[in-house]
Amino acid sequence: MSKKLEKILKNYPKGEKKLLISLLQETQEELGYLPDFALEKISEHLNIPLSQVYGVVTFYSQFYLKPHGKYTIKACQGTACHVKGSLAVLEAIQNELKIKPGETTKDLKFSLEVVYCLGTCFLAPVMMINNQYYGKLTSNKVKSILKSYR
Amino acid sequence: MKLNSVEDLNRYKEILRNKNNKSKKIVVRICSTGCRAFGALEVLDTFLKEIKKRRLNDKVEIRQTGCHGLCAKAPVLAIDPLGLFYQQVTPIDVPNIISHTILKGKILDKLVYKDLKTGESYPYIKDIPFYKEQLKIVLRNCGIIDPTSIEQYIMRDGYQALIKVLTSMKPEEVIEEVKNSGLRGRGGAGFPTGRKWEFVRNSKGRPKYIVCNADEGDPGAFMDRAVLEGDPHSVLEGMLIAAYAIGANEGYVYVRAEYPIAVYNLKIAIDKMYRIGLLGDNILSTGFNFKLYIKEGAGAFVCGEETALLASIEGRRGTPRPRPPFPAEKGLFGKPTNINNVETYANIAPIILKGAKWYSSLGTKGSCGTKVFSLAGKVRNTGLVEVPMGITLRRIIFDIGGGISRDRKFKAVQTGGPSGGCIPGKYLDLPVDYESLSSKGAIMGSGGMIVTDEDTCMVDLAKFFLNFLRDESCGKCVPCRIGTQRMYEILDKITKGKGTREDIDLLYMLAESVKDSSLCGLGQTSANPILSTLNYFKDEYMYHIDYKKCPAGVCEELITSPCRDTCPINDDAQGYIDFIKRGDIDGALAVVRKTNPLPSVCGRACYHPCERKCKRGEIDKPVSIRLLKRYIADKGKWIPLKVKLTKDKVAVIGSGPAGLSCAYFLVQKGYKVEIFESLPVSGGMLAVGIPSYRLPKDILKRDIDVIKKMGVRIHLNKRIGKEIKIFELRKEFKALFLGIGCHKPLMLNIPGENKEGVITGIEFLRKVNLGKKIDLKGKKVLVFGGGNVAIDVARVSLRLKADEVNILYRRGPDEMPASKEEIEEALEEKINIMYFIAPLEVIGDKKVTGVKCIKMELGDFDESGRRKPIPVKGSEHIVPCDVVIIAISQVPDFEMLNLPKEIVVGNKIIVDRDTMVTSIAGIFAGGDLVRGPSTIVDAMSDGKRGAISIDKFLRGEEVKFVPEKLKLDRLYKLEEEVVNWDRIDVKKLKLKTRACSFEEIEEGFSDKEALLESQRCLQCDKNRYEIK
Repeated sequence: MSKKLEKILKNYPKGEKKLLISLLQETQEELGYLPDFALEKISEHLNIPLSQVYGVVTFYSQFYLKPHGKYTIKACQGTACHVKGSLAVLEAIQNELKIKPGETTKDLKFSLEVVYCLGTCFLAPVMMINNQYYGKLTSNKVKSILKSYR
Repeated sequence: MKLNSVEDLNRYKEILRNKNNKSKKIVVRICSTGCRAFGALEVLDTFLKEIKKRRLNDKVEIRQTGCHGLCAKAPVLAIDPLGLFYQQVTPIDVPNIISHTILKGKILDKLVYKDLKTGESYPYIKDIPFYKEQLKIVLRNCGIIDPTSIEQYIMRDGYQALIKVLTSMKPEEVIEEVKNSGLRGRGGAGFPTGRKWEFVRNSKGRPKYIVCNADEGDPGAFMDRAVLEGDPHSVLEGMLIAAYAIGANEGYVYVRAEYPIAVYNLKIAIDKMYRIGLLGDNILSTGFNFKLYIKEGAGAFVCGEETALLASIEGRRGTPRPRPPFPAEKGLFGKPTNINNVETYANIAPIILKGAKWYSSLGTKGSCGTKVFSLAGKVRNTGLVEVPMGITLRRIIFDIGGGISRDRKFKAVQTGGPSGGCIPGKYLDLPVDYESLSSKGAIMGSGGMIVTDEDTCMVDLAKFFLNFLRDESCGKCVPCRIGTQRMYEILDKITKGKGTREDIDLLYMLAESVKDSSLCGLGQTSANPILSTLNYFKDEYMYHIDYKKCPAGVCEELITSPCRDTCPINDDAQGYIDFIKRGDIDGALAVVRKTNPLPSVCGRACYHPCERKCKRGEIDKPVSIRLLKRYIADKGKWIPLKVKLTKDKVAVIGSGPAGLSCAYFLVQKGYKVEIFESLPVSGGMLAVGIPSYRLPKDILKRDIDVIKKMGVRIHLNKRIGKEIKIFELRKEFKALFLGIGCHKPLMLNIPGENKEGVITGIEFLRKVNLGKKIDLKGKKVLVFGGGNVAIDVARVSLRLKADEVNILYRRGPDEMPASKEEIEEALEEKINIMYFIAPLEVIGDKKVTGVKCIKMELGDFDESGRRKPIPVKGSEHIVPCDVVIIAISQVPDFEMLNLPKEIVVGNKIIVDRDTMVTSIAGIFAGGDLVRGPSTIVDAMSDGKRGAISIDKFLRGEEVKFVPEKLKLDRLYKLEEEVVNWDRIDVKKLKLKTRACSFEEIEEGFSDKEALLESQRCLQCDKNRYEIK
């Protein structure tokens, strides 16, 4: 993992503080999450105190400090989804995977996140698994979609 | 290739255009962005393969485009130059489209847009109502061009505006042009764009930056996504022009992390611009340098706020800072920065090309141009629409949006996302512009429109927004961090049935202080969802607080099951259907009788609001609850309910549904009840109002006999005021329940209505029901009215052998209050309904020969959102007839009743609607008498509440309303799969026999049918009940 990180860091000039978020994004893209050693390296490389790096990481919902599932489920709870019954859909996902939002299944297959609006309100209620959209969901539909990922 | 000069670009454009004109003839444009979720890419793939297989590459171009707007019908495609639009296309359709439409020009009706109401087909884009009303400026290329092809953008005059400013306009002139256009920022606040540019240009610092805010985070807004995905160059060209105008050489597009396709298409676009020479140094040899970067957001709603967004670009936590200084002065890296949103930039190129005058001529005076709205929620045509400012909400939601799905009732439209507000039905004719929306407590915002209907709970909606805001509050300032949390907690309490009236005051107070003291827009506007729902829907809040119920059936803690909560008497439909499933019909009847004194009646003549709320209806059609109840009442064993009549005597006046229901519940509590009925039969309107083909007399008698067997005595032909005086009753009985109903007809108040041959509907039905002979053989009957009585009268007339029966109604079919089922049955029986017609005078010497009528049309909307009918001048005409039946409405007959004056106001008796108490101790009232003409089940509910109050009164308790906690207990926990068959149709008498007979029309379910239908119930309350 640390080799991968080294490779990424080569593309980022030292001390270029404004690139912190981009660097974190690329690191996470490569490693799947942001392990402690990566945060330390990045802090050193960009010359930003580790506390500040941590502050940024925890501020944005996109960053993970723990290993993340192979598939990220983003269950939309935006307004349009909400009025069309997205809570029941979220419940179905939770029941099916036995995890709550923010958690990852033990086999590291699925992580569940709640998002507000995926910008596909016409599909409401909607969820995304990695980059694939699933729309007009019902509890039953959720079950069969999740099955296809197992 | 690299374009080194303006001439290069123009030459390139000509080359591209010539090549295009010479080559392919037919273009299939497939939405490959929003429609992806429904398999658009598979459709695209199949097209590409088929075209290759059939060697049509030279004749047909398959183009992947951005959003076409009509997202509800995804996947969609358009075929040029035919101008066709196909919807819900699947890969299987592709060979047919190629063989029939592309090669032969034939239209495939299956794939054509259809009006849901009229069923009419609209194959051509230009005719589809959804598109007809739109004017596309921002979305000019969306759905037309391939967003990954800079060439197609250039062919459609892309970058011509850039050339124009670089070669012929000074930066100041550009700013002047934008100022004159009247363009205001489309991100929400609506600040004039030109003025913002001027500030940045005049700011001293160097360098200057351009930023595009593409952090479209408002839940329910997706217009920026569509533009970025479908036409990224339109935004980028706008940014370049802005950069030139303010003197910036570097720019950033800050895109939300949740928009992968947008980022992808943007990257391609920027990459191509660098390669072709539209970005970089010395663009087109004009000396203008510009570099552009994409910054992907990392998931934080507050980054849509400009100072937070800048912090995020700088690599920091995205928290806002106080303004001033504004970014125009001190922005990115402390330098002057111009921030506009996606839609604003996309407007720039057309303004430069067509001029400020053209743009400012569109829309309204203060809000020029067009606005893109994303329509979502409970509207039929969800999707993207671009319309001139000033258009009314009604046209957007009903004409373009196609109205509310599943024929529900519109409740409100929520505009502007979490900072916005909702606008109720009475303001549907509000013109949409910045000022009008704010005047009603909403905002334009980024243009999200979430349509809500009767099934949306407004308290829940406010709670939803507050939950979102407390989640997204960055935490930097205390009022927002704590305030949003506290407001959320209060709303949460209310939706859980634990709210108090004081909570409303507290909400107002918190809202005020959070608004005044928060650092940025997120906090300052965070109370808007509460304030605006409180403003228009306070009664819904109060319902949660006082009754501990959620009228929309949304708030989990306050619902048992939708059918049961909706039923005025809370019949436990899921409970008795559960018994039918298990074959225990007697058990089912016992469940029904717990809450319902008249199961056989309700199984036939109830208007079944339960079915409207049935969750099964969201899948296919609602469960046939009414007919299942009838089945139970007809097939179950009526075991007498044991009662011990040991308590006081109570008198009930009137044996209609209100009186019977009151008596039924009183005897169960041990009271001795006597009913006084003025008619020679018991049942009130059930007996003399409802025709026997809908409710046979012996069936009604069965329900009443059961009540009589429980010890209720009914005295017929005892009219209060005539045979018995009310004060005498009060001596003998400890309490009185009045339920005399509405049996006195209202007249039309037109000349000639006393002529022979004119009768009122209620009189007519009473005579027929009491067995009086009326022969209408060979006569032509006119019925005036639009309610259920009018329909009943017409159908009875037909059965009395009338030659021709016409119903005349002054409004249109949509406004007609009669039940849809009955209107349909009447039409089947060849009863003619004439709409928009009103009577003026009854014509004839002694006997009626006709009615002088006038045509009506719909005028302006009244407060209730209904359009008023107004007469059409000069359209008077005579409709000949032999009999006129007036069935417009009825009122209570107070004559001789001699009621104490203080409880009668106009045509109603005034009671507290929750307890049915009048202002005189010991006198209670309910049913049509207090409501005006209403429904059976509402009257029964009044009777039941009256019984509860009478019991409290006689026991010396305070008579006050206490919300009833509904018990949910079932024998088993169901874990059955959802069955997939359709609602079982009930067998009916053949049309020929039925139209001339009073025999009951519906046959009722057989055992097998009832079982099948019962299995359709989703048992959607199963997570809530406890197992016995």
